[in-house]
Amino acid sequence: MNRRYFNILAAVLLLSFTGCQPTIEDFPASSGNADFTRYVALGNSLTAGYADGTLYKSAQANSYPAILARQFAKVGGGTFVQPVVDNEIGLFVNKRVLGFSTDCKGITGLSPVLAEGSPVGLPAALAPVGYPVQNLGVPGAKTAHLIFPGYGNPAGLLTQPPSANPYYVRFASSASASVLQDAMAQNPTFFSLWIGNNDVLGYALAGGENPLGESITQTDVFNFAYNTLINTLTSNGAKGVVANIPDITSIPYFNTVPAMGLVLTAEQAAQLNGAYAQVENYIRTVVGIPNFSYNISFQAGPNPFVVEDRNFPYPLPKAFRVRQAKPGELILLTVPQDSLKCAGMGSFSIEKQRPYGIPQHFVLDQEEIQNIKTAVAAMNTTIKNLAEQKGLAFVDVASLLETAKTGMVYDGLNFTTTFVTGGIFSLDGVHMNQRGAAIVANAFIDAINNKYGAHIPKADITAYPGIVFP
Amino acid sequence: MRKTLFSLLLLLLASASLMAGGYQVRLQGTRQTGMGLTGTALKSGASDIFYNPGSLGFLGKKFELNLGGNAIISKISFRDLESDYSAQTDNPVSPPFFFYGAGKLTDKLVMGLGVYTPYGSKTVWPDDWKGRYLIQNIGLRAYYMQPTISYQLTDRLGLGAGFIYMYGKADIQKALPYNDANVNLSGSTTAMGFNLGVFFKASDKINLGLNYRSKIEVSLTDGDATFNIPTSLSAILPQNNKFSANLPMPANLDFGVSFQATDKLLLSLELDWVMWGVYDTLTFTFAEKGELLNSKNPRLYSDAYIPRFGLEYTANEKLTLRAGAYYDKTPTNKDYFNPETVSLNTMAFTLGFTYKPSDNFKVDFSFAQLFGQEMERAYTPAHFAGKYKSSATIPGLGITYSF
Repeated sequence: MNRRYFNILAAVLLLSFTGCQPTIEDFPASSGNADFTRYVALGNSLTAGYADGTLYKSAQANSYPAILARQFAKVGGGTFVQPVVDNEIGLFVNKRVLGFSTDCKGITGLSPVLAEGSPVGLPAALAPVGYPVQNLGVPGAKTAHLIFPGYGNPAGLLTQPPSANPYYVRFASSASASVLQDAMAQNPTFFSLWIGNNDVLGYALAGGENPLGESITQTDVFNFAYNTLINTLTSNGAKGVVANIPDITSIPYFNTVPAMGLVLTAEQAAQLNGAYAQVENYIRTVVGIPNFSYNISFQAGPNPFVVEDRNFPYPLPKAFRVRQAKPGELILLTVPQDSLKCAGMGSFSIEKQRPYGIPQHFVLDQEEIQNIKTAVAAMNTTIKNLAEQKGLAFVDVASLLETAKTGMVYDGLNFTTTFVTGGIFSLDGVHMNQRGAAIVANAFIDAINNKYGAHIPKADITAYPGIVFP
Repeated sequence: MRKTLFSLLLLLLASASLMAGGYQVRLQGTRQTGMGLTGTALKSGASDIFYNPGSLGFLGKKFELNLGGNAIISKISFRDLESDYSAQTDNPVSPPFFFYGAGKLTDKLVMGLGVYTPYGSKTVWPDDWKGRYLIQNIGLRAYYMQPTISYQLTDRLGLGAGFIYMYGKADIQKALPYNDANVNLSGSTTAMGFNLGVFFKASDKINLGLNYRSKIEVSLTDGDATFNIPTSLSAILPQNNKFSANLPMPANLDFGVSFQATDKLLLSLELDWVMWGVYDTLTFTFAEKGELLNSKNPRLYSDAYIPRFGLEYTANEKLTLRAGAYYDKTPTNKDYFNPETVSLNTMAFTLGFTYKPSDNFKVDFSFAQLFGQEMERAYTPAHFAGKYKSSATIPGLGITYSF
C-alpha cells in the first residue's frame, strides 16, 4: 500500500521536474487554393523597399514583398531574390537618418539629416546584378513604364527626356526587356502588383506644377497599361494580389508643415499689417491700381502662410502675386525651413521689402488636390474592377491609410500617419519604414487569405525596426 | 490498480498544464495543499492562522511552530492568433513560504502569529517577445504578517480574528517603441487588513468552517520609474520619474465542510469565493509628464468561485496520505487579458503525505500539479491576441514542532 503511493509520487515528481512546457497546437498554415512556388512582385519604390529617401540594404531586405515572401515560405513559397543593394547608406543618394541640426535661429533640434558616408555611386550603381530577381519593384516607375520595353536600357538614361530607369537598368535581363516580360520569364505562380502611385505622386511632389515636367497620367493611358499588366500576369493561370492607390495627400510629406503655420505675436502681426499696407499703398499710387488690396489681416496666434497665387487677378510681378493659404491646402515637407523661419517666406521679406509667398511648387492648392483625388478615384475603380473580374485578391490600401490617420494599434504599438513619431512612414515622409512595410504586408496577407481560402501566418510587426532615434 | 493509477496520472500530465486565480497563491499550509488547498473546515494547528483563525482555538498542543514553503515551477506558452509566432516564459522558480507560531494562553484561548505570502507572481517573457510593449517582466509579492487570537466559545464553536499588516512590492518592465528602449517600474508599500474565522463542530464527524479575509487595497505611491531611452528623447521624457499605482488584493470568503468518513479517512469539501470583481482598472499616474505617460488600463476581472475537494488517509501512527483536486475558473476578462497575469481556467491535482517520527515533530510533503487550460484571449486596447496555456508544478515541504 505504502509502496504504491510512493511509486506514484516518485513518478509524478520525476515527470514534473523534467519540465513539461505546455504545448499549444501549431498554427494551421495553408496556401488555400493559391500556389506560392514562384512569387514575383511588381511595383514602384514602395515595392522595391525604398525608404528614408533612397534604396538601401536593410530597408530593401524588409521590403513588403520580402516580408510577404518570408510568410509565403511557410505555405510552400519558394526563394525570393531581390536586386540587392549592398550598402546601408543608399544607392545614388544618402539615406536620411534622425539626427540633430541647428536652424537659422541657432536652435538645435531632432530632425531628419543626411546619413554620413558614401552611397553607391556611378558607375557601380548601374552595374547589372547578374541574376534574375523576383522583386521587380522599380523606384519612380509609373504604371505604363512596367510594360515599356527598353525601360532598362542604359542608353535610355541619356536621352532627353530619359526613356530608361537606372533602378531597372540594374536588373533588366536585356536592354530591350520590360519589367513585365522579366516577370513573365519566371513563369510565376503568384504575383503582387501595387502600381499607380507615381502616376499622381510625381505631380503632387512637384506641388502640382506642370512646368516642372510632371503631370498626372491620363486615365486611358493608365487603364491600358493596367489592363495589359493584369491580362499578361494572369495569362498562364497565375493568381495574384493587387493593391489600390491611397490618398497620397494623407502622407506626412504633405501634412507635416501646417498651412496655418505662421504663428505671430501681436507685435509681429501689427508690423506685418503695416508692411502690407505700405505695399498696397505703393501698388495703388505708384503702379496705379486703385482700391488694390491683398485682403490680408494678420493676427496674433496662428495665421495661414502667405503663398504665391497662380490666379492672381492683377498683372503684377510674380513676387507680388500672393494670397493667404486656404483651409485644406497643403504645404510640402521640402519647403525650406530656414527661409520660413528667418527670411520671411510665408509672410514678408524685410530684406526685399515685399511680400514673400511660399513658391507654388511647395504648395498643393485645392484645385491640384482635387485633380489628384479625381485621378486616384478613377485608377482605383479600374484596379478594383479588374481585380474582381480576374478573381484576384484586392488590398484596399486607401482604406488602410484612412484608418491610420485616426490611429491604429498592433501588439501595443500605436501607429498614425504623423511624420517621424507616427511609426509608419520613413524619414522621407512618402515611403513606409520597415514596421510600416510589415503592416502593409499583413494587409496583403489578409486579402490573400480572404480571397484564396489560405491561412498564411501574419508577419510579426514588432520584429521589424521602426525609426531609429539617436 | 497501481498501473491504472499510474497511467491515469501520466495521461493527465501529458494532456496538459500556472497559477490560476489572478495573482493569488493559496499555498499556505502543506497539509492543506495536499488536500486540494482545502482547510477552512480542518483543524490543522498553527496554519489555521491563515486558513481559519476560528479553528486555531482547538489547537491540540500547548505550543506549535510550523514552517514551510513551496517551489512554484510555472511555465506559460503563447501562440499568436494570426500567425505561427509563439513564445514561452522563462519564469524563475517562485518560492512562497509561510511561518506560523501559536500557543495556548488558557485552555480556550490561543494566540498566534503568521507570516505568509498569499499573493504574488513572477513572469519573465523573452526579451524580444511580441508582447513586450504590454509586458516584459513582472514580479509582484505581498508579505502578510498576521497576529491572531482565537477563542473556543463552546466545545463546538470557535471564533478567531487576525490583524494583517502587509508589505508589498512590485517590479515591472515594459518595452517602449524607441529603438530598444524600456521602462522599469518598481516600488513597495504597506497596507492593512484582517482575517476572521468561525469553526463549528456540527457533530462528531462533521466540521464546518467559514473564513473571511478582507480585501487589501495596495496603493503604491512614489515608486521609481526609470526610462531607458535614447538620449535624443530625454528632453521629452525624464529618465527618472515617480509613479503611483493601485492594485487590489481581493477579499476571500471560504466555506468548508469536513467529514470523518471512517476512522482513517477524512474528506474535505470547500467553496471559495474570491472577490476579484474589485480589480477593474490598473491606473498608473506619473509625477512628471503625466499628460504623456498616465494610463488607465482596463482589467475588468470577475469574482471567482473555486470548488475544492480533498481527502486524508491515516495509514498508521507515523504516516498520513493525502490527495485533492480543485477547479479554478479564471477571473480575467477575455477581451482585457494582459500577459502580465496569465490566469487561465485551471484544473489542479494535489498529493501529500506526512511523516511523524515522534509525537513532537512531523514533516509534511505536498505536491500540486496545475493544468491551465488552453484559452484564446485578447487585450483589445493593444490589439494583442493569442492562445495561452500554462502549467505549474509545485512541490512543497513543511515541518511542525509542537509540545
